[in-house]
Amino acid sequence: MNAAQATPVKYDMEVVRWFSIAAVIYLVVGTLLGVWIAAELAWPSLNFIPEIAFGRLRPLHTNAVIFAFGGCTLMATGYYMVQRTGATRLWSNGLAWFTFWGWNLVIVLAVITLPLGITQGKEYAELEWPIDILIAIVWLAFGLNHIMTVAIRKTSHIYVSNWFIMSMIVMITYLHVVNSLAIPVSLATSYSIYSGVQDAMVQWWWGHNAVGFYLTAGFLGIMYYFVPKQAGRPIFSYRLSVLHFWALTFGYVWLGSHHLQYTALPDWTGSLGAAVSLAMIIPSWGGAINGMMTLSGAWDRLRTDYILRFLVVALAFYAMSTFEGPVMSLKTVNALSHYTDWTIGHVHSGALGWVAMVAIGALYHMVKKLWNTEMYSDSLVNVHFWLSTIGTVVYIVAMWVSGIMQGLMWRDYDEYGTLTYTFVESVFAMHPYYAMRAIGGLIFHLGTLVMLYNVVMTVRQASAARGAAAVPAQA
Amino acid sequence: MTKLLGYLGMDVSAMTANDWLGVFFTLGAFIGMVVVYFMVFRPANKDAFESQRGMALDDEDPIDMGEKND
Repeated sequence: MNAAQATPVKYDMEVVRWFSIAAVIYLVVGTLLGVWIAAELAWPSLNFIPEIAFGRLRPLHTNAVIFAFGGCTLMATGYYMVQRTGATRLWSNGLAWFTFWGWNLVIVLAVITLPLGITQGKEYAELEWPIDILIAIVWLAFGLNHIMTVAIRKTSHIYVSNWFIMSMIVMITYLHVVNSLAIPVSLATSYSIYSGVQDAMVQWWWGHNAVGFYLTAGFLGIMYYFVPKQAGRPIFSYRLSVLHFWALTFGYVWLGSHHLQYTALPDWTGSLGAAVSLAMIIPSWGGAINGMMTLSGAWDRLRTDYILRFLVVALAFYAMSTFEGPVMSLKTVNALSHYTDWTIGHVHSGALGWVAMVAIGALYHMVKKLWNTEMYSDSLVNVHFWLSTIGTVVYIVAMWVSGIMQGLMWRDYDEYGTLTYTFVESVFAMHPYYAMRAIGGLIFHLGTLVMLYNVVMTVRQASAARGAAAVPAQA
Repeated sequence: MTKLLGYLGMDVSAMTANDWLGVFFTLGAFIGMVVVYFMVFRPANKDAFESQRGMALDDEDPIDMGEKND
Protein backbone atom coordinates (compact mmCIF):
# COMPACT_ATOMS: atom_id res chain seq x y z
CA MET A 1 0.00 0.00 0.00
CA ASN A 2 1.23 3.49 -0.83
CA ALA A 3 1.98 5.90 1.97
CA ALA A 4 -0.74 8.16 0.64
CA GLN A 5 -3.22 5.34 1.14
CA ALA A 6 -2.35 4.54 4.75
CA THR A 7 -5.64 6.08 5.89
CA PRO A 8 -8.85 5.03 4.15
CA VAL A 9 -9.85 7.45 1.41
CA LYS A 10 -13.38 8.75 1.10
CA TYR A 11 -14.52 8.45 -2.49
CA ASP A 12 -17.35 9.93 -4.53
CA MET A 13 -19.00 6.66 -5.44
CA GLU A 14 -22.72 7.45 -5.49
CA VAL A 15 -22.50 8.71 -9.07
CA VAL A 16 -20.54 5.57 -10.01
CA ARG A 17 -23.35 3.44 -8.55
CA TRP A 18 -25.93 5.26 -10.66
CA PHE A 19 -23.86 4.97 -13.82
CA SER A 20 -23.37 1.24 -13.12
CA ILE A 21 -27.08 0.53 -12.68
CA ALA A 22 -27.88 2.63 -15.77
CA ALA A 23 -25.33 0.62 -17.77
CA VAL A 24 -26.98 -2.68 -16.82
CA ILE A 25 -30.44 -1.35 -17.75
CA TYR A 26 -29.18 0.00 -21.09
CA LEU A 27 -27.52 -3.34 -21.82
CA VAL A 28 -30.92 -5.02 -21.47
CA VAL A 29 -32.68 -2.40 -23.62
CA GLY A 30 -29.94 -2.21 -26.28
CA THR A 31 -29.77 -5.97 -26.79
CA LEU A 32 -33.59 -6.22 -26.85
CA LEU A 33 -33.60 -3.69 -29.69
CA GLY A 34 -30.92 -5.75 -31.42
CA VAL A 35 -33.01 -8.93 -31.16
CA TRP A 36 -36.05 -7.10 -32.49
CA ILE A 37 -34.30 -5.66 -35.56
CA ALA A 38 -32.62 -9.02 -36.22
CA ALA A 39 -36.11 -10.54 -36.22
CA GLU A 40 -37.29 -7.78 -38.58
CA LEU A 41 -34.61 -8.78 -41.07
CA ALA A 42 -35.58 -12.45 -40.82
CA TRP A 43 -39.35 -11.80 -40.86
CA PRO A 44 -39.96 -8.49 -42.69
CA SER A 45 -43.67 -8.39 -41.79
CA LEU A 46 -42.55 -7.17 -38.35
CA ASN A 47 -41.75 -3.79 -39.94
CA PHE A 48 -45.41 -2.84 -39.67
CA ILE A 49 -45.13 0.90 -38.86
CA PRO A 50 -42.37 3.31 -39.88
CA GLU A 51 -41.43 4.25 -36.29
CA ILE A 52 -40.32 0.70 -35.52
CA ALA A 53 -39.06 -0.25 -38.97
CA PHE A 54 -35.49 -1.56 -39.27
CA GLY A 55 -34.16 1.70 -40.74
CA ARG A 56 -35.34 3.68 -37.71
CA LEU A 57 -34.55 1.17 -34.97
CA ARG A 58 -31.13 0.06 -36.21
CA PRO A 59 -29.50 3.41 -35.28
CA LEU A 60 -31.41 3.34 -32.00
CA HIS A 61 -29.90 -0.11 -31.30
CA THR A 62 -26.35 1.04 -32.10
CA ASN A 63 -26.78 4.24 -30.07
CA ALA A 64 -28.23 2.27 -27.15
CA VAL A 65 -25.46 -0.29 -26.97
CA ILE A 66 -22.54 2.00 -27.87
CA PHE A 67 -23.42 5.30 -26.24
CA ALA A 68 -25.99 4.35 -23.58
CA PHE A 69 -24.52 1.06 -22.34
CA GLY A 70 -20.92 1.69 -23.42
CA GLY A 71 -20.93 5.33 -22.32
CA CYS A 72 -22.39 4.64 -18.88
CA THR A 73 -19.91 1.78 -18.42
CA LEU A 74 -16.97 3.97 -19.44
CA MET A 75 -18.03 6.81 -17.16
CA ALA A 76 -18.74 4.47 -14.23
CA THR A 77 -15.40 2.68 -14.57
CA GLY A 78 -13.53 5.88 -15.50
CA TYR A 79 -14.69 7.67 -12.34
CA TYR A 80 -14.10 4.51 -10.29
CA MET A 81 -10.58 3.74 -11.52
CA VAL A 82 -9.30 7.31 -11.42
CA GLN A 83 -10.29 7.61 -7.75
CA ARG A 84 -9.04 4.18 -6.68
CA THR A 85 -5.69 4.39 -8.49
CA GLY A 86 -5.14 8.03 -7.54
CA ALA A 87 -6.21 7.59 -3.89
CA THR A 88 -8.33 10.69 -4.18
CA ARG A 89 -11.92 11.83 -4.57
CA LEU A 90 -13.23 13.27 -7.80
CA TRP A 91 -12.12 16.79 -8.66
CA SER A 92 -15.79 17.77 -8.84
CA ASN A 93 -18.61 15.52 -7.67
CA GLY A 94 -21.12 18.09 -8.96
CA LEU A 95 -19.64 17.92 -12.45
CA ALA A 96 -19.83 14.12 -12.29
CA TRP A 97 -23.56 14.35 -11.58
CA PHE A 98 -23.87 16.80 -14.47
CA THR A 99 -22.31 14.18 -16.77
CA PHE A 100 -24.74 11.55 -15.44
CA TRP A 101 -27.89 13.58 -16.09
CA GLY A 102 -26.50 15.15 -19.28
CA TRP A 103 -25.57 11.79 -20.77
CA ASN A 104 -28.96 10.35 -19.90
CA LEU A 105 -30.65 13.37 -21.48
CA VAL A 106 -28.74 12.59 -24.69
CA ILE A 107 -30.04 9.03 -24.54
CA VAL A 108 -33.65 10.19 -23.98
CA LEU A 109 -33.35 12.56 -26.96
CA ALA A 110 -32.02 9.69 -29.09
CA VAL A 111 -35.00 7.54 -28.09
CA ILE A 112 -37.36 10.35 -29.19
CA THR A 113 -35.69 11.50 -32.41
CA LEU A 114 -34.40 8.34 -34.06
CA PRO A 115 -37.75 6.46 -34.28
CA LEU A 116 -39.23 9.68 -35.74
CA GLY A 117 -36.64 9.51 -38.51
CA ILE A 118 -34.75 12.61 -37.36
CA THR A 119 -31.18 11.74 -38.32
CA GLN A 120 -28.03 13.08 -39.95
CA GLY A 121 -27.65 9.77 -41.76
CA LYS A 122 -24.04 9.34 -40.63
CA GLU A 123 -23.35 5.90 -39.19
CA TYR A 124 -22.72 5.93 -35.42
CA ALA A 125 -23.25 9.73 -35.56
CA GLU A 126 -26.92 9.84 -36.46
CA LEU A 127 -28.08 12.33 -33.84
CA GLU A 128 -28.93 15.82 -35.06
CA TRP A 129 -26.81 18.89 -34.40
CA PRO A 130 -28.42 20.18 -31.13
CA ILE A 131 -27.85 16.75 -29.57
CA ASP A 132 -24.32 16.67 -31.00
CA ILE A 133 -23.57 19.93 -29.17
CA LEU A 134 -25.00 18.49 -25.94
CA ILE A 135 -22.84 15.37 -26.38
CA ALA A 136 -19.74 17.56 -26.81
CA ILE A 137 -20.54 19.58 -23.66
CA VAL A 138 -21.19 16.51 -21.49
CA TRP A 139 -18.17 14.68 -22.90
CA LEU A 140 -15.90 17.67 -22.21
CA ALA A 141 -17.27 17.84 -18.66
CA PHE A 142 -16.39 14.15 -18.21
CA GLY A 143 -12.95 14.78 -19.70
CA LEU A 144 -12.25 17.82 -17.54
CA ASN A 145 -13.34 16.02 -14.39
CA HIS A 146 -11.27 12.93 -15.19
CA ILE A 147 -8.13 14.83 -16.16
CA MET A 148 -8.36 17.16 -13.16
CA THR A 149 -8.85 14.18 -10.84
CA VAL A 150 -5.67 12.70 -12.30
CA ALA A 151 -3.99 16.06 -11.65
CA ILE A 152 -4.95 16.06 -7.94
CA ARG A 153 -4.07 12.38 -7.37
CA LYS A 154 -2.18 11.43 -4.21
CA THR A 155 -0.06 8.78 -5.94
CA SER A 156 3.08 9.62 -7.89
CA HIS A 157 2.39 7.43 -10.93
CA ILE A 158 -0.56 7.63 -13.33
CA TYR A 159 -1.77 4.05 -13.79
CA VAL A 160 -2.00 2.81 -17.40
CA SER A 161 -5.81 2.50 -17.26
CA ASN A 162 -6.09 6.25 -16.75
CA TRP A 163 -3.84 6.85 -19.76
CA PHE A 164 -6.16 4.75 -21.92
CA ILE A 165 -9.22 6.64 -20.65
CA MET A 166 -7.58 10.03 -21.22
CA SER A 167 -6.51 9.01 -24.72
CA MET A 168 -10.12 8.06 -25.44
CA ILE A 169 -11.40 11.37 -24.06
CA VAL A 170 -9.03 13.49 -26.17
CA MET A 171 -9.52 11.54 -29.39
CA ILE A 172 -13.31 11.17 -29.16
CA THR A 173 -13.65 14.92 -28.54
CA TYR A 174 -11.64 15.63 -31.67
CA LEU A 175 -13.37 12.98 -33.79
CA HIS A 176 -16.91 13.82 -32.68
CA VAL A 177 -16.53 17.55 -33.28
CA VAL A 178 -14.85 17.27 -36.70
CA ASN A 179 -17.18 14.54 -38.00
CA SER A 180 -20.33 16.32 -36.79
CA LEU A 181 -19.55 19.71 -38.38
CA ALA A 182 -22.74 20.64 -40.21
CA ILE A 183 -24.80 23.57 -41.40
CA PRO A 184 -28.11 23.65 -39.49
CA VAL A 185 -31.27 24.36 -41.45
CA SER A 186 -33.75 23.81 -38.62
CA LEU A 187 -33.67 22.21 -35.18
CA ALA A 188 -34.15 18.78 -36.75
CA THR A 189 -32.28 19.19 -40.04
CA SER A 190 -28.68 19.90 -40.95
CA TYR A 191 -26.27 19.20 -43.77
CA SER A 192 -22.73 17.93 -43.31
CA ILE A 193 -20.07 20.44 -44.38
CA TYR A 194 -18.35 17.59 -46.25
CA SER A 195 -19.49 16.07 -49.50
CA GLY A 196 -18.58 13.20 -51.79
CA VAL A 197 -15.52 11.15 -51.04
CA GLN A 198 -14.31 13.62 -48.38
CA ASP A 199 -17.54 12.98 -46.50
CA ALA A 200 -16.95 9.24 -46.74
CA MET A 201 -13.37 9.58 -45.55
CA VAL A 202 -14.27 11.78 -42.57
CA GLN A 203 -17.20 9.47 -41.76
CA TRP A 204 -14.96 6.38 -41.60
CA TRP A 205 -12.15 8.25 -39.87
CA TRP A 206 -14.77 8.80 -37.16
CA GLY A 207 -16.46 5.41 -37.58
CA HIS A 208 -13.36 3.29 -37.16
CA ASN A 209 -11.97 5.45 -34.38
CA ALA A 210 -15.24 5.24 -32.47
CA VAL A 211 -14.33 1.54 -32.47
CA GLY A 212 -10.62 2.22 -31.91
CA PHE A 213 -10.78 4.72 -29.09
CA TYR A 214 -14.26 4.50 -27.59
CA LEU A 215 -14.74 0.72 -27.78
CA THR A 216 -11.09 -0.34 -27.65
CA ALA A 217 -8.90 2.19 -25.80
CA GLY A 218 -11.59 2.90 -23.19
CA PHE A 219 -12.32 -0.77 -22.61
CA LEU A 220 -8.61 -1.63 -22.55
CA GLY A 221 -8.37 0.83 -19.66
CA ILE A 222 -11.08 -1.25 -18.00
CA MET A 223 -9.20 -4.47 -18.78
CA TYR A 224 -5.89 -3.25 -17.33
CA TYR A 225 -7.56 -2.37 -14.04
CA PHE A 226 -10.20 -5.06 -13.56
CA VAL A 227 -8.29 -8.16 -14.77
CA PRO A 228 -5.50 -7.74 -12.18
CA LYS A 229 -8.07 -6.70 -9.59
CA GLN A 230 -10.36 -9.67 -10.13
CA ALA A 231 -7.46 -12.11 -10.49
CA GLY A 232 -5.76 -10.65 -7.41
CA ARG A 233 -2.47 -10.62 -9.29
CA PRO A 234 -0.32 -7.80 -10.72
CA ILE A 235 -0.42 -7.21 -14.45
CA PHE A 236 1.94 -9.60 -16.27
CA SER A 237 4.14 -6.87 -17.80
CA TYR A 238 3.76 -3.17 -17.15
CA ARG A 239 6.25 -2.38 -19.92
CA LEU A 240 4.05 -4.23 -22.41
CA SER A 241 1.04 -2.22 -21.25
CA VAL A 242 2.92 1.05 -21.88
CA LEU A 243 3.94 -0.14 -25.32
CA HIS A 244 0.36 -1.26 -25.99
CA PHE A 245 -0.94 2.18 -25.04
CA TRP A 246 1.42 4.23 -27.21
CA ALA A 247 1.27 1.90 -30.22
CA LEU A 248 -2.52 1.96 -30.12
CA THR A 249 -2.66 5.72 -29.66
CA PHE A 250 -0.22 6.46 -32.47
CA GLY A 251 -1.52 3.79 -34.82
CA TYR A 252 -5.28 3.50 -34.58
CA VAL A 253 -6.15 6.85 -36.19
CA TRP A 254 -4.81 5.69 -39.56
CA LEU A 255 -7.15 2.75 -40.08
CA GLY A 256 -10.44 4.33 -41.20
CA SER A 257 -9.69 4.26 -44.89
CA HIS A 258 -9.72 0.45 -44.93
CA HIS A 259 -13.53 0.77 -44.85
CA LEU A 260 -13.40 2.38 -48.28
CA GLN A 261 -11.50 -0.11 -50.46
CA TYR A 262 -12.59 -0.09 -54.11
CA THR A 263 -14.28 3.31 -53.84
CA ALA A 264 -13.56 6.78 -55.23
CA LEU A 265 -10.97 7.27 -52.47
CA PRO A 266 -7.39 7.28 -53.82
CA ASP A 267 -6.12 3.71 -53.94
CA TRP A 268 -3.09 4.38 -51.76
CA THR A 269 -5.19 5.51 -48.79
CA GLY A 270 -6.94 2.13 -48.65
CA SER A 271 -3.55 0.40 -48.87
CA LEU A 272 -2.19 2.58 -46.05
CA GLY A 273 -5.25 1.76 -43.92
CA ALA A 274 -4.74 -1.97 -44.55
CA ALA A 275 -0.98 -1.80 -43.86
CA VAL A 276 -1.43 -0.02 -40.54
CA SER A 277 -4.29 -2.40 -39.67
CA LEU A 278 -1.88 -5.33 -40.07
CA ALA A 279 0.75 -3.52 -37.98
CA MET A 280 -1.83 -3.08 -35.22
CA ILE A 281 -2.06 -6.84 -34.71
CA ILE A 282 1.23 -6.64 -32.81
CA PRO A 283 0.19 -4.25 -29.99
CA SER A 284 -3.33 -5.70 -29.89
CA TRP A 285 -2.09 -9.23 -29.39
CA GLY A 286 0.58 -7.96 -27.01
CA GLY A 287 -2.19 -6.45 -24.90
CA ALA A 288 -4.37 -9.55 -25.08
CA ILE A 289 -1.46 -11.79 -24.08
CA ASN A 290 -0.54 -9.36 -21.30
CA GLY A 291 -4.05 -9.62 -19.88
CA MET A 292 -4.19 -13.41 -20.18
CA MET A 293 -0.72 -13.99 -18.76
CA THR A 294 -1.78 -12.01 -15.70
CA LEU A 295 -3.49 -15.25 -14.74
CA SER A 296 -0.21 -17.21 -14.83
CA GLY A 297 -0.22 -19.50 -11.86
CA ALA A 298 -3.86 -18.79 -11.12
CA TRP A 299 -5.66 -20.42 -14.03
CA ASP A 300 -7.49 -22.69 -11.62
CA ARG A 301 -9.47 -19.65 -10.47
CA LEU A 302 -11.42 -19.80 -13.71
CA ARG A 303 -13.19 -22.90 -12.36
CA THR A 304 -14.82 -20.96 -9.56
CA ASP A 305 -14.55 -17.25 -10.40
CA TYR A 306 -17.27 -16.60 -12.97
CA ILE A 307 -16.55 -12.86 -13.15
CA LEU A 308 -12.97 -13.63 -14.11
CA ARG A 309 -14.31 -15.90 -16.85
CA PHE A 310 -16.07 -12.93 -18.45
CA LEU A 311 -12.84 -10.93 -18.43
CA VAL A 312 -10.67 -13.71 -19.86
CA VAL A 313 -13.12 -14.76 -22.57
CA ALA A 314 -13.35 -11.06 -23.50
CA LEU A 315 -9.59 -11.06 -24.05
CA ALA A 316 -9.88 -14.13 -26.30
CA PHE A 317 -12.50 -12.35 -28.41
CA TYR A 318 -10.35 -9.20 -28.42
CA ALA A 319 -7.43 -11.17 -29.83
CA MET A 320 -9.68 -12.88 -32.38
CA SER A 321 -11.39 -9.74 -33.66
CA THR A 322 -8.15 -7.72 -33.80
CA PHE A 323 -6.77 -10.42 -36.10
CA GLU A 324 -9.93 -10.79 -38.17
CA GLY A 325 -10.26 -7.02 -38.78
CA PRO A 326 -6.84 -6.54 -40.40
CA VAL A 327 -7.36 -9.67 -42.52
CA MET A 328 -10.70 -8.25 -43.74
CA SER A 329 -9.02 -4.93 -44.56
CA LEU A 330 -6.76 -6.60 -47.15
CA LYS A 331 -8.02 -5.81 -50.63
CA THR A 332 -8.20 -9.44 -51.72
CA VAL A 333 -10.29 -10.46 -48.72
CA ASN A 334 -12.23 -7.18 -48.75
CA ALA A 335 -13.37 -7.87 -52.32
CA LEU A 336 -15.32 -10.81 -50.90
CA SER A 337 -16.23 -9.56 -47.44
CA HIS A 338 -17.26 -5.94 -47.99
CA TYR A 339 -21.01 -5.17 -47.89
CA THR A 340 -21.72 -8.70 -46.62
CA ASP A 341 -22.85 -10.06 -43.26
CA TRP A 342 -19.27 -11.11 -42.54
CA THR A 343 -18.72 -7.48 -41.48
CA ILE A 344 -21.70 -7.70 -39.13
CA GLY A 345 -20.25 -10.93 -37.67
CA HIS A 346 -16.86 -9.25 -37.19
CA VAL A 347 -18.40 -6.22 -35.50
CA HIS A 348 -20.38 -8.40 -33.10
CA SER A 349 -17.44 -10.64 -32.22
CA GLY A 350 -15.86 -7.39 -31.01
CA ALA A 351 -19.01 -5.83 -29.60
CA LEU A 352 -20.51 -8.86 -27.82
CA GLY A 353 -17.36 -10.90 -27.27
CA TRP A 354 -14.94 -8.15 -26.28
CA VAL A 355 -16.73 -4.93 -25.28
CA ALA A 356 -19.82 -6.38 -23.62
CA MET A 357 -17.98 -9.24 -21.88
CA VAL A 358 -15.20 -7.10 -20.42
CA ALA A 359 -17.78 -4.48 -19.39
CA ILE A 360 -19.99 -7.11 -17.75
CA GLY A 361 -17.00 -8.51 -15.83
CA ALA A 362 -16.06 -5.01 -14.66
CA LEU A 363 -19.65 -4.16 -13.70
CA TYR A 364 -20.03 -7.34 -11.62
CA HIS A 365 -16.71 -6.57 -9.90
CA MET A 366 -17.77 -2.99 -9.19
CA VAL A 367 -21.24 -3.91 -7.94
CA LYS A 368 -19.65 -6.07 -5.23
CA LYS A 369 -17.23 -3.31 -4.23
CA LEU A 370 -19.65 -0.39 -4.52
CA TRP A 371 -22.28 -2.02 -2.34
CA ASN A 372 -19.69 -3.75 -0.18
CA THR A 373 -21.35 -7.15 -0.52
CA GLU A 374 -21.22 -10.48 -2.37
CA MET A 375 -23.34 -11.19 -5.44
CA TYR A 376 -26.87 -12.34 -4.68
CA SER A 377 -26.18 -15.47 -6.72
CA ASP A 378 -22.84 -16.63 -8.11
CA SER A 379 -24.69 -19.40 -9.95
CA LEU A 380 -26.65 -16.79 -11.89
CA VAL A 381 -23.35 -15.11 -12.87
CA ASN A 382 -22.30 -18.50 -14.25
CA VAL A 383 -25.63 -18.88 -16.10
CA HIS A 384 -25.11 -15.39 -17.52
CA PHE A 385 -21.59 -16.27 -18.62
CA TRP A 386 -22.73 -19.30 -20.60
CA LEU A 387 -25.73 -17.50 -22.14
CA SER A 388 -23.39 -14.67 -23.25
CA THR A 389 -20.76 -16.99 -24.66
CA ILE A 390 -23.19 -19.31 -26.47
CA GLY A 391 -25.25 -16.37 -27.75
CA THR A 392 -22.17 -14.63 -29.12
CA VAL A 393 -20.86 -17.76 -30.83
CA VAL A 394 -24.25 -18.58 -32.42
CA TYR A 395 -24.54 -14.99 -33.63
CA ILE A 396 -21.10 -14.68 -35.20
CA VAL A 397 -21.08 -18.16 -36.76
CA ALA A 398 -24.44 -17.36 -38.44
CA MET A 399 -23.03 -14.12 -39.82
CA TRP A 400 -19.75 -15.65 -40.97
CA VAL A 401 -21.53 -18.38 -42.95
CA SER A 402 -24.13 -15.95 -44.26
CA GLY A 403 -21.55 -13.32 -45.21
CA ILE A 404 -19.16 -15.61 -47.05
CA MET A 405 -22.10 -17.22 -48.86
CA GLN A 406 -23.41 -13.76 -49.84
CA GLY A 407 -20.01 -12.68 -51.17
CA LEU A 408 -19.59 -15.87 -53.19
CA MET A 409 -23.12 -15.67 -54.63
CA TRP A 410 -22.78 -11.99 -55.61
CA ARG A 411 -19.65 -12.50 -57.65
CA ASP A 412 -20.38 -15.85 -59.24
CA TYR A 413 -20.53 -15.77 -63.05
CA ASP A 414 -21.72 -18.41 -65.50
CA GLU A 415 -19.94 -19.41 -68.70
CA TYR A 416 -21.56 -16.48 -70.58
CA GLY A 417 -20.23 -13.91 -68.12
CA THR A 418 -23.59 -13.12 -66.55
CA LEU A 419 -24.33 -13.28 -62.83
CA THR A 420 -25.34 -16.76 -61.70
CA TYR A 421 -27.64 -15.50 -58.94
CA THR A 422 -30.00 -12.55 -58.70
CA PHE A 423 -29.75 -10.38 -55.58
CA VAL A 424 -33.13 -11.67 -54.41
CA GLU A 425 -31.87 -15.24 -54.58
CA SER A 426 -29.03 -14.29 -52.23
CA VAL A 427 -31.56 -12.71 -49.85
CA PHE A 428 -33.58 -15.97 -49.81
CA ALA A 429 -30.42 -17.94 -49.12
CA MET A 430 -29.69 -15.74 -46.09
CA HIS A 431 -32.99 -16.41 -44.34
CA PRO A 432 -31.95 -19.40 -42.16
CA TYR A 433 -28.88 -17.50 -40.99
CA TYR A 434 -30.90 -14.38 -40.20
CA ALA A 435 -33.18 -16.53 -38.05
CA MET A 436 -30.11 -18.11 -36.43
CA ARG A 437 -28.67 -14.64 -35.75
CA ALA A 438 -31.91 -13.57 -34.05
CA ILE A 439 -31.76 -16.69 -31.87
CA GLY A 440 -28.10 -16.03 -30.95
CA GLY A 441 -28.97 -12.45 -30.06
CA LEU A 442 -31.95 -13.63 -28.01
CA ILE A 443 -29.73 -16.01 -26.03
CA PHE A 444 -27.33 -13.14 -25.31
CA HIS A 445 -30.24 -10.88 -24.36
CA LEU A 446 -31.61 -13.48 -21.90
CA GLY A 447 -28.23 -13.34 -20.18
CA THR A 448 -28.58 -9.59 -19.70
CA LEU A 449 -31.97 -10.11 -18.03
CA VAL A 450 -30.33 -12.60 -15.65
CA MET A 451 -27.68 -9.96 -14.90
CA LEU A 452 -30.23 -7.23 -14.22
CA TYR A 453 -32.15 -9.50 -11.83
CA ASN A 454 -28.95 -10.56 -10.05
CA VAL A 455 -27.67 -6.98 -9.71
CA VAL A 456 -31.03 -5.67 -8.43
CA MET A 457 -31.21 -8.48 -5.87
CA THR A 458 -27.58 -7.82 -4.84
CA VAL A 459 -28.31 -4.14 -4.24
CA ARG A 460 -31.47 -4.99 -2.29
CA GLN A 461 -29.54 -7.55 -0.25
CA ALA A 462 -26.87 -4.94 0.56
CA SER A 463 -29.49 -2.33 1.47
CA ALA A 464 -31.30 -4.82 3.73
CA ALA A 465 -28.02 -5.74 5.45
CA ARG A 466 -27.24 -2.06 5.95
CA GLY A 467 -30.69 -1.44 7.40
CA ALA A 468 -30.34 -4.38 9.79
CA ALA A 469 -26.94 -3.14 10.93
CA ALA A 470 -28.28 0.37 11.46
CA VAL A 471 -31.20 -0.66 13.74
CA PRO A 472 -29.13 -1.86 16.76
CA ALA A 473 -26.84 1.12 16.31
CA GLN A 474 -29.78 3.50 16.57
CA ALA A 475 -31.27 1.55 19.49
CA MET B 1 12.32 -2.47 -58.34
CA THR B 2 11.93 0.73 -60.37
CA LYS B 3 8.17 0.46 -59.92
CA LEU B 4 8.61 0.13 -56.17
CA LEU B 5 10.91 3.15 -56.01
CA GLY B 6 8.40 5.08 -58.08
CA TYR B 7 5.73 4.21 -55.54
CA LEU B 8 7.88 5.55 -52.72
CA GLY B 9 9.02 8.67 -54.58
CA MET B 10 7.55 12.07 -53.87
CA ASP B 11 7.36 15.26 -55.86
CA VAL B 12 8.37 17.82 -53.23
CA SER B 13 7.59 20.81 -55.41
CA ALA B 14 3.99 19.64 -55.88
CA MET B 15 3.30 19.13 -52.17
CA THR B 16 0.53 21.22 -50.62
CA ALA B 17 0.28 22.45 -47.03
CA ASN B 18 -1.94 19.42 -46.28
CA ASP B 19 0.75 17.09 -47.64
CA TRP B 20 3.41 18.68 -45.43
CA LEU B 21 1.09 18.45 -42.43
CA GLY B 22 0.66 14.74 -43.19
CA VAL B 23 4.42 14.25 -43.45
CA PHE B 24 4.89 16.09 -40.17
CA PHE B 25 2.40 13.89 -38.30
CA THR B 26 3.61 10.67 -39.94
CA LEU B 27 7.21 11.34 -39.03
CA GLY B 28 6.14 12.56 -35.58
CA ALA B 29 4.28 9.31 -34.91
CA PHE B 30 7.21 7.25 -36.24
CA ILE B 31 9.78 9.07 -34.13
CA GLY B 32 7.45 8.93 -31.13
CA MET B 33 7.15 5.14 -31.46
CA VAL B 34 10.94 4.75 -31.74
CA VAL B 35 11.34 6.80 -28.53
CA VAL B 36 8.70 4.68 -26.75
CA TYR B 37 10.32 1.40 -27.83
CA PHE B 38 13.72 2.69 -26.68
CA MET B 39 12.36 3.79 -23.29
CA VAL B 40 10.35 0.63 -22.66
CA PHE B 41 13.02 -1.88 -23.67
CA ARG B 42 16.01 -0.08 -22.13
CA PRO B 43 17.20 -2.45 -19.39
CA ALA B 44 17.88 0.46 -17.02
CA ASN B 45 14.17 1.37 -17.12
CA LYS B 46 12.84 -2.12 -16.46
CA ASP B 47 12.53 -1.87 -12.69
CA ALA B 48 11.01 1.61 -12.81
CA PHE B 49 8.24 0.39 -15.14
CA GLU B 50 7.62 -2.97 -13.56
CA SER B 51 7.41 -1.49 -10.07
CA GLN B 52 3.95 -0.21 -11.13
CA ARG B 53 2.64 -3.70 -12.01
CA GLY B 54 0.67 -4.07 -8.83
CA MET B 55 -0.68 -0.53 -8.63
CA ALA B 56 -4.28 -1.62 -9.26
CA LEU B 57 -4.00 -3.91 -6.23
CA ASP B 58 -2.74 -1.22 -3.87
CA ASP B 59 -6.14 0.02 -2.82
CA GLU B 60 -8.11 -2.81 -1.25
CA ASP B 61 -10.00 -0.69 1.27
CA PRO B 62 -13.74 -1.36 1.31
CA ILE B 63 -15.84 1.51 0.05
CA ASP B 64 -17.85 3.25 2.73
CA MET B 65 -21.51 2.48 1.94
CA GLY B 66 -22.78 5.39 3.97
CA GLU B 67 -20.84 8.14 2.26
CA LYS B 68 -23.09 10.62 0.53
CA ASN B 69 -20.60 12.76 -1.30
CA ASP B 70 -20.44 15.52 1.24
